[in-house]
Amino acid sequence: MLKATFRSFLAHKGRLALSMLAVLLSVAFVAGTLMFTDTIGSTFDELFRSTSPDVSVTAHNDVAGRNDQNFSGTVPTVPESLIPTVRQVPGVASVVGRVQLAGIVLTDANNKSIGAIGGAPTIGINWDLRPNSPVDLTSGSAPHGDGQVVVDADTVHKHHLVLGQQLHVIAATGGFPVTLTGIATFNTTNPGATLVFLDTPTAQTRLLGHAGVFTSIDLTADKGVTHEQLRDRVAPVVGSAYDVKTAEQTAKDAAQTLGAFLSVIKDALLGFAGIAVLVGVSLILNTFSMLVAQRTRELGLMRALGASREQVNRSVLVEAALLGLVGSTLGLLLGVALALGLIKLIAAGGMVLKGSQLAVHWPTIVAAYAVGIIVTTVSAYLPARRASRISPMAALREADTPGRGAPLRVRAVVGLVVLAVATGALVGAATDKNLGQAGLLLGAGVLLSLVGLIVVGPLLARPVIRAIGGWFPRVFGPVGTLSQRNALRNPRRTSATASALMIGLALVASLSIVGSSLAASFDAQIDKTIGADLIVQNSTGLPFPNEVGDTVEATPGVGLAVRGQGTRGALVAADGTQQKTVVVGTSPGLEKVVRIEMRAGTVAAGTAPGHVMIGSNYADAHGLHLGSPVNILFQSGQTGTLTVGGIDVTDTNPGGLGDEPVLATSTLRQYVPGALDDIVFVNVAPGADKAQVKSALTTALAKDPQVQVRDQTDYKKLIRGQIDLLLNLVYGLLALAIIIAILGVVNTLALSVIERTREIGLLRAIGLGRAQLRRMVRLEAVVISLFGAVLGLGLGLGWGLTAQRLLAAKGLQALAIPWATIIAVVVGAAVVGLLAALGPALRASRLDVLDAIAHE
Amino acid sequence: MAAQDRSAPAARAVGLSKAYGSGDTAVLALDRVDVEIDAGRFTAIMGPSGSGKSTLMHCLAGLDKPTGGEVWVGDTELSRLGDKQLTRLRRDRIGFVFQAFNLLPTLTAEENITLPGDIAGRKADAGWLAQVVETLGLQDRLRHRPHELSGGQQQRVAVARALAARPQLIFADEPTGNLDSRSGAEVLGFLRRSVDELGQTVVMVTHDPNAASFADLVLFLADGRIVDRLMGPTADTVLERMRRFDSRGAKPTTATTD
Repeated sequence: MLKATFRSFLAHKGRLALSMLAVLLSVAFVAGTLMFTDTIGSTFDELFRSTSPDVSVTAHNDVAGRNDQNFSGTVPTVPESLIPTVRQVPGVASVVGRVQLAGIVLTDANNKSIGAIGGAPTIGINWDLRPNSPVDLTSGSAPHGDGQVVVDADTVHKHHLVLGQQLHVIAATGGFPVTLTGIATFNTTNPGATLVFLDTPTAQTRLLGHAGVFTSIDLTADKGVTHEQLRDRVAPVVGSAYDVKTAEQTAKDAAQTLGAFLSVIKDALLGFAGIAVLVGVSLILNTFSMLVAQRTRELGLMRALGASREQVNRSVLVEAALLGLVGSTLGLLLGVALALGLIKLIAAGGMVLKGSQLAVHWPTIVAAYAVGIIVTTVSAYLPARRASRISPMAALREADTPGRGAPLRVRAVVGLVVLAVATGALVGAATDKNLGQAGLLLGAGVLLSLVGLIVVGPLLARPVIRAIGGWFPRVFGPVGTLSQRNALRNPRRTSATASALMIGLALVASLSIVGSSLAASFDAQIDKTIGADLIVQNSTGLPFPNEVGDTVEATPGVGLAVRGQGTRGALVAADGTQQKTVVVGTSPGLEKVVRIEMRAGTVAAGTAPGHVMIGSNYADAHGLHLGSPVNILFQSGQTGTLTVGGIDVTDTNPGGLGDEPVLATSTLRQYVPGALDDIVFVNVAPGADKAQVKSALTTALAKDPQVQVRDQTDYKKLIRGQIDLLLNLVYGLLALAIIIAILGVVNTLALSVIERTREIGLLRAIGLGRAQLRRMVRLEAVVISLFGAVLGLGLGLGWGLTAQRLLAAKGLQALAIPWATIIAVVVGAAVVGLLAALGPALRASRLDVLDAIAHE
Repeated sequence: MAAQDRSAPAARAVGLSKAYGSGDTAVLALDRVDVEIDAGRFTAIMGPSGSGKSTLMHCLAGLDKPTGGEVWVGDTELSRLGDKQLTRLRRDRIGFVFQAFNLLPTLTAEENITLPGDIAGRKADAGWLAQVVETLGLQDRLRHRPHELSGGQQQRVAVARALAARPQLIFADEPTGNLDSRSGAEVLGFLRRSVDELGQTVVMVTHDPNAASFADLVLFLADGRIVDRLMGPTADTVLERMRRFDSRGAKPTTATTD
């Protein structure tokens, strides 16, 4: 029996190749994803572990985080004078003052920005290499004095910099010219950042604005002294104004910041891997039920010759396990290639991982084989059981009408119940005010509706295909009739084939609805709230030197320039409870550039010296009125008491303002002396031309390449661009699911052509031309694909609408259905069908008529 | 199209040879066969297995390419035709009835009957169709799918399909091979009537003397040659003739070259 299994395994090479490919792709995606994220995780763990100082001392700040460069003001610093103090502590081997500040800009002589792509930071560091430094000086010399700089090799190569080249460094406090004197090369993974090294005094004065301060003091422990011991000795010496952390804590903090980001990527990739597996399962299941159906006669013969039902079952299962084993192994190999490809891809984005460090952990291998073998065996078991139930003689007699199977009534009931529950969950998600709960309901609804639709798919095949293929007979004549009927011949098979496509397209449709609704909502919000003609802003939202605002104000044609600042702070209630928030500063005229709906008072009164404008939610929660005192803790550590001069309506105000207190720049700077602008709103002078002013500003600001001048159209484009980037990424990943889906269609058609060989011979004998036969196969593929597209779009529409309703509670009111995308999806599905049919159609048309008629 | 001059042959082969394989392993299935199929006649081709009777039919019907000689259907010589022209010839001028699997399972009986005409994009001649359907007694079965029909009914639908386009020639390859004797006789009766009443030309390959007895003329093939002809056959005379093959031991002289 086992021999017969092997023989049959080899005999059906061609048919098995396709299902093998399905297993292979599913496994490859899962394994590749796991390896990729493991590799990123382990390289960064390694990087953080190796580069963190044994113990570090940083300034303690309640409201501001370290390297919190999105908000301006004094960066928390540690005075140089602390170094001799900590050097006294027994067990300290060496002490290094560290200046490290993200958010600076490096430009070439033409003011063109040189920096990491994709939002990775440019980091300014003082040149003081320790033994475990992540970089080595590989050419040129270390920076000495103001005006010398060392840049990391990856950036140097990417931008073709040469030693001696004139560059420009722009920090929040202003810009200064430098000469490239040396190149530093990463000796570990380059996390994608651009590193700019200055000598210590330059770094202190230019980046931090003060001589004699550091962002941290890094300690190395003596041999025999643990990091924890050293930390416990240093902490009482420096006092509670400073945080003292071990290398492990620092690495953990860093990993946590990155980890949150990584786990999002990992979850997303695994989500897609899950989709790939789901699609793969339906493909494998479908392929096996076809293979077994075709072999009904062969299995019947085995039964007739005395093989027991169990033996037949086992024969199919062994075959499936073999297939799963081979497919998983090949998939694992392809997964390695996939992971290496992804690593290459992100290297292009600036994050250089060493391919040789590819992390292949055993759970990856277990998962790969589990997916490959278990899924394949289960997929094969179901049809095998069905096959072995047929009486041997029936199987021998009749092999031409496979899959007429059991009635679909049970399926209908189960499917409809699941769909009803799913609809309930989705409606619940759309109407639930509690976001967390609504999110859960959405998740459940998405999953259940998917399952429900897969279950009732065969029942929908007839009506839907009649509707979408109804015009085929009229246009394509009998070929159209035949292809439509063929697609309907085995609704289970058709719907299983289409379901793979359905999953991919449902995701594409729903995400594109959410994406375009997001964009439309932002558009509407911009229209509603931004009154300014032009906006000057750093593309990453970072603050910029005050000279930018001065330049804007001095540019001819500028009527009103309103400069805004954002700093960290907290609202302190009467009972002492703190609510962390961003404290916004503005120069006069805010109400002329941003439309703010007021509950009480005016914007002008709220931003008068010594006053503050607060949100209605906070006012209601704490019983505040016009004239009430409000305590604000600023990031400098000072607390100020201000008078409420205006209360704005929290819920309807521009995104980001919310409950944030707004006060005059002059007031803010009393408490946060270094607060920098991060936005300048511009209204052009009466009679001035907007476009002219825009180009004048752009010219005037050429020396500050980190800021851009945008009108509202540019602003909308910027936001759309960001959303599109995200969507394209998602579409890219979904492409894999769609490739598997195409394979599914190819598989079904190829097997159908084999199954219908005699029929094809008959058709050819009675006068169907080769071209007509090809068209018949192609049309069938198109019908199946369109069926998948219709179900997928319907499902995606439901998901998208629900998600939009859910987000509406968060202020994304607009609903935009991207018809262009949806039409493209339908056309794309038809094209997918045509592509999938190429091979099978060719094969069918090449069949020899006589051989085909005589085919068993 | 169907109304033919009974004096001109509907099809003929001149020096028709068909070899499978090449060189030493070549098997000669047909060896310089000359034959004329008279229009308006029911011709049966018989012979022991391996005698080349199916090959002869396939070559005459444009399903198989001869390796030598000429095949004419009406005034068309087939050896120079490409696949497209052969397909069109089969579609427009020839009807087929196979041993089994004659019908497309997805189409109704009526759709199966009109399929060749539909493929050609021809409007069916409603009067003729009605006559054919009535002759074959299929009026009540037109809306049924093949799996709802008995084997005999399925073969009758196949005969109706072959007749529907009024082809110059109908080829039937063991049309009763899968039927019980009663259904078989019924189908043969219809083929006979299509010749007598509808003026069709039918060529049938069979190994059943009873089936052959419905024909006007029986051609006997052995070892790729026509070895005998029998006009106005009965089951007994055919059986008698077939026995002579058996008594010779049915030694195929060319088929053992493996």
